[in-house]
Amino acid sequence: MTSLPKPLGEALAPSNVDSTKSFQTRVFQILSDRFGAALDPRDQWGLTVVVASEQLREVLGFLRNDPEVLADTLLDITAIDYLGYPGHDQARFAVVYLLKSQRASSHRLRVKVWVEEDSPKIPSVHDLWKIANWQERETWDQYGIVFEGHPNLKRLLNHIEFVGHPLRKDYPVKKRQWLSTNDPMIDQLEARLALRGYEVLEHVPVHSPSVEETDLLGKPSRIQNNNVGGVS
Amino acid sequence: MKVRSPNGEKVDLLTVNIGPSHPATHGALRAFVALDGEIITAAAQEIGYLHRGFEKMVEQGTFQQVLPYTDRLNYCSAILNNIGFCLTAEKMFGVEVPERCQTLRVLLSEMSRLIDHLVCVAAASVDLGALTNYWYLFNPREEVYAIWEKLSGARLTNTFTRIGGLYRDTYEGFEADVAKVLVSIETGLDEAFRLLEHNRIFLDRTRGVCPISGEDAVSWGWTGPCLRAAGVDRDLRKDEPYLGYETYEFETIIGTTGDTFDRLMVRMYEMKESLSICRQALARLKPGPVNTTDARLILPGHQMAYHDMEALINHFKVVYEGVRPPAGEFYYGIEAANGELGFFIVSDGTGKPWKIKVRPPCFTQFAAYADLIEGSMIADAVACLSSINIIAGELDR
Repeated sequence: MTSLPKPLGEALAPSNVDSTKSFQTRVFQILSDRFGAALDPRDQWGLTVVVASEQLREVLGFLRNDPEVLADTLLDITAIDYLGYPGHDQARFAVVYLLKSQRASSHRLRVKVWVEEDSPKIPSVHDLWKIANWQERETWDQYGIVFEGHPNLKRLLNHIEFVGHPLRKDYPVKKRQWLSTNDPMIDQLEARLALRGYEVLEHVPVHSPSVEETDLLGKPSRIQNNNVGGVS
Repeated sequence: MKVRSPNGEKVDLLTVNIGPSHPATHGALRAFVALDGEIITAAAQEIGYLHRGFEKMVEQGTFQQVLPYTDRLNYCSAILNNIGFCLTAEKMFGVEVPERCQTLRVLLSEMSRLIDHLVCVAAASVDLGALTNYWYLFNPREEVYAIWEKLSGARLTNTFTRIGGLYRDTYEGFEADVAKVLVSIETGLDEAFRLLEHNRIFLDRTRGVCPISGEDAVSWGWTGPCLRAAGVDRDLRKDEPYLGYETYEFETIIGTTGDTFDRLMVRMYEMKESLSICRQALARLKPGPVNTTDARLILPGHQMAYHDMEALINHFKVVYEGVRPPAGEFYYGIEAANGELGFFIVSDGTGKPWKIKVRPPCFTQFAAYADLIEGSMIADAVACLSSINIIAGELDR
């Protein structure tokens, strides 16, 4: 039983075991023929394909636009740090793209790319899905994966002064950092203005706490007293 | 900030921070905007003020210890998060919970959806200056919290479900309490409908304000009521049914233009559907066990643990080592009040999760916020923000 995509907005038939299985077999066949994609044995419940980093944009673009797949929704981008994972012998990181289609209820799959520790770089897909911009920023923030070609690869959840990538397995849970200033965000606002065709003639002054103000807050003593409340 | 506009005019823009601490932002969210008079020329938003490191914290404990953290994601409908996480874990084990538990979970899901939507619509109308709705909608919500309190002992952070079942069965008189609260919600909702639906001021303030097309909403990864408001008929309860939702009768509510009015109205009409699902669930609630008998997940009873050596060992291992799903990677999402709430779990076969990534529905909606409000007035930005219902707990995790 196949479940072909319908125009956006139409009600869909609910997914079932058959339509999901047939979608997975069909799409994996296409991906392995065209891009040499491999199955990821770690996913025993659904479909996860592993592709090479050079082919990532091509594969995701194909999945997004192919009339039989139409995986038009990028649910999430995240990374996995396999440092210390039992029996793991591949690259340290993997970046995972969670896709689904809003035009066929059984169309769900994940695309996985291995990323080496010494050069954690993969191409950005911010131009394929608008949401990828923020998802890539979060993955950079938490795992330190560099998305090449991203227009504004800046931390998203953590503070701009934060050092390190907290979801890496070697980031200590109880580590505390002193963060003092605020993000002026002038750069982001000016980029938005440029996007809308405005030319900035005069920049606005940035208001941040001065060095003296920061010192007044008692930087060294606060760090010493601040190791309470950790997760044990 | 002096700029030259696209038509060559020199304009002096005023830069203003909306938030992070402002009543209209409903949480610590910051939008930095450049204003031309009252019009927002450009905007950029910042999140992370409530970032607590959910994903790092859950890696430190066992799978059961994740549950209390999930309450703190969308704290307006904590039980929905509990159910989402438990379902994901149960699917990894391949375990189905007993019928009574399924029906109760549906009932609790829909009541959580109701209180979540009540907050959204009530807060949105307060932002528009329509304060009266707030009393009509928040009073019944308070009654639901009284039920939560009797049920789980907590008002806001319930942690009511368990992997493989529920914390406990319901109390005596639960059905009567629920039936009563459903009437209160319906009455409050009807009052709010009468105040809002054909109200000139409400229509002027919300219709055509910050609209989004279906295509754009999909590109932004939107799900749930906000996507349906943009005319896309998707609801996980219909498309990928779980907990037996395919056996309940309800409609998916869809909008046409994806503007603020549609987003609020989709939520209001959805509440009517949720009320109907609650009544159907209440009618089919039969006595029976609420926990699975799978010994991998559920603690043996006191009698067993005190008198049987194997049961005692089992009890010890489930508590100390945690439940141990098969090694592998799994994603599962449910229809939460704001859209698809998903959990991506990586397990190495031990009782501690290797990684859990939450897919929060708000995240995608707030990412689009700058695009939505550019070109509108400040007051419209406030109306828009409350209609996309950002919950900072799940946005920042």
